[in-house]
Amino acid sequence: MNLSYYAKKRITDIIISIIMLALLAITLLPIGWMVFSSLKSSTDIAIGRVGLSHNVEGKVDIRWQNYVDMWKNVNFGLYLRNSLVICGFTMFFAMVFATFAAYALSRFKFPGADLFSNATLATQMIPMIMYLIPIYIMFVKFTMMTGIPVKGTFPGIILIYSAWFLPFSIWILRGFFAAIPKELEEAALIDGCSRLRVFWHIALPLAMPGIIATGIYVFLNAWDELMFAWVLTSADTMTIPVGIRLFVGNYQNRFDLMMAAATVATIPVVVLFFLLQRHIVRGLTAGAVKG
Amino acid sequence: MKKNGKSLWYRIKSNSFAYYFILPTLLAMLFLHLSPIVQGIYMSFLKLNQFTLQQYLLAPFVGFENYYKVLIDAQSPIRIGLIEAVRNTIIYTVVVTFGTLAMGMIVALMLNRKFFGRSLVRTFFLFPWIVPTYVTGLLWGIIWLKEGGLVNVMLVDWLHILPFKPSWLSGPNTMWAIIIPTIWRYWPLSMLMLLAGLQTIPDELYEAADIDGASPWRKFWMITWPMLRPVWFILILFGLIYNTYSFNIVIMMFGFGAGFPGEWGDLMMTNIFRNSFQLWNFGTGAATSVLLLVVMIAIVNVWFRYFKQAEELR
Repeated sequence: MNLSYYAKKRITDIIISIIMLALLAITLLPIGWMVFSSLKSSTDIAIGRVGLSHNVEGKVDIRWQNYVDMWKNVNFGLYLRNSLVICGFTMFFAMVFATFAAYALSRFKFPGADLFSNATLATQMIPMIMYLIPIYIMFVKFTMMTGIPVKGTFPGIILIYSAWFLPFSIWILRGFFAAIPKELEEAALIDGCSRLRVFWHIALPLAMPGIIATGIYVFLNAWDELMFAWVLTSADTMTIPVGIRLFVGNYQNRFDLMMAAATVATIPVVVLFFLLQRHIVRGLTAGAVKG
Repeated sequence: MKKNGKSLWYRIKSNSFAYYFILPTLLAMLFLHLSPIVQGIYMSFLKLNQFTLQQYLLAPFVGFENYYKVLIDAQSPIRIGLIEAVRNTIIYTVVVTFGTLAMGMIVALMLNRKFFGRSLVRTFFLFPWIVPTYVTGLLWGIIWLKEGGLVNVMLVDWLHILPFKPSWLSGPNTMWAIIIPTIWRYWPLSMLMLLAGLQTIPDELYEAADIDGASPWRKFWMITWPMLRPVWFILILFGLIYNTYSFNIVIMMFGFGAGFPGEWGDLMMTNIFRNSFQLWNFGTGAATSVLLLVVMIAIVNVWFRYFKQAEELR
C-alpha cells in the first residue's frame, strides 16, 4: 500500500490522539474513584462490593448524605478552619519576608549575597525531620521554662511553616523580579525617588502577579503539609491532613466519610489552581527553561 | 590590600538598603533553620528519649552510641528496620524519579503537536498534581483494597488479566503500591516543565534532521534530549531529593495514617518519624537524619559534578 506523506501523518496523528485520550482516562480514573467511593456506604467499601450502594428496598442509593454526615462525625469544620487560618497566615508572612529578600537579591550585588542565596538553596536538601526533632523539643522546653504554650498553638505552627516555605518562595520570586526591567527603577532613582519609594511604587506593583502566584503555591504546599502539623498541633489546632485520619481508627471505619472529606479538602485547591493556573505554570517553568 | 578593605566596607555601606531587606529572612534563617540543624547534629550524640526530653541539650552525652546502634549493632531493632527502609527508599526513589521523567516525557511529546483542544487536555493532565499528597495516600489506600479496590476490580473482574486477587498492601507488592501513586501524583509536573522546554527548541533543527533522513528515535536522542538538558537536570535533582524524603503518601496509605507500612513499604522518613515520635528515640532519630543528610549532600554533589563534566565534554 502506498500512502502519501500527508495520509501517513494523519494516521499517526489519530493513533497518538487515541493513546493520549486513553492515558487521560487512566490518569483521571483514581480521582473519579474517590468521588464515586464517597457516594457509597461504608460497609460496601469495607466488604468490597463493587458498584453503587443499595438501600433496604434494593433501590440504588447514592449517598449524598455522606457530605452532610462528614461534618458531624468528626469536627471537620474546625479542621477546615484551622487549615485556612494556618495556611493563610503562612502565605502572608512567607510572602512579605520573601518579597523583601528576593528584591534585595535581584537588585543589589552586596557582599554576602552569594552566600545568602546559596544558604537558602541548601536548606532544600535538609530532611524535614531534622528540623522537627529539635523544634519539638525546643517548644516543649520553652513552655516548661516560661509557661507560655507554643506547641499546639496557631503562632507556633505558623512561625515554623513561614520559615519552612521562605527559601523556596525567595527562589521563585527572584525569577519574577529579575524579569522586570531595571531601567524603570533607574530612571525613577535619577528623578530623585528614594529607594523605598522605587520599591513600593514601581517594583512591587510590577511583581504583584508573581507574588500572588508564589503565594498561592505556598498556600497549596502548606495545605498539603502533614509531618509538622502531626507533631506541632493539638486537638484544637489540628489541620485537615491530621484530622482526616480520625474517620478511620479504633472506634470506627468510615471510609465513605473519609473519601467525602478528601473530596472536600481537594476542592479549594482545585479552584485556586484553576483560577491562577497561568501564573503558577509560568512561574514554575520559567526557572526550568532558563536553567 | 588596604584599598580592597576599604572597597568592601564601601560596598557594604552603599548596599545598606539591601541588608535591611534581607534582615527578617536572615533572622528566620538563623533561628529557624541554622539553629535547629546545629541542635539536631548535637542531639544525635545525646541519649534523648521521653525521660530525658525535658533536660533538652543537657541530656546525657553518649558520644557515638546512637550511631553505633544505627549502623553497626546487629542486635539493635532500629538497625534491622532501617536496613529495610534504606533498601525500599533506594528502589522507590530511583523508580519514581525516572518513572515520572519517562511518563512526563512521553506525554509532553504527545502534547507538543498542534491539535484541537490542546490546552484543555494539558489542563486535565495536570489534575493529579493538584490533589494533595495526603489525599493521594488515602485515596490509593482505597484503590489498592483486595476486595472491591479499583485495581483488583479492573485487573481481575473486568479485564481478566490476573486469575486471582493479589493483596497489594502487604508483602513485596507494597513496593508497587507506594511507587505507582507517587508517579501518578508527580508526573504532571515533569510533563509541564518538559513541555515548556520542548517549546523552546527551534524547528529548524528538526527540519535539518528531516532532510538528512534521521529516524524519530535518532532525532529524539540527538536533538530533543540534549536540548532539554537544563530541564531534566533540575527534574532529576529535585526528584532524588524529594522522593528520598517522601512521607505523606506512604504514611497515609497504610491503615489510613495509623498503620505500619510493612517491611516492603517502610521508607526512611516514615521509619525515622516512627522512631522519634512514636517510640520516642529522639537521639537515634537525630543520628539517622544526620546520616541521611550526609548521604544526600554526597548525591547532590555527585550529580552536580557529573553535570559539569558532561557540560565540559560537549
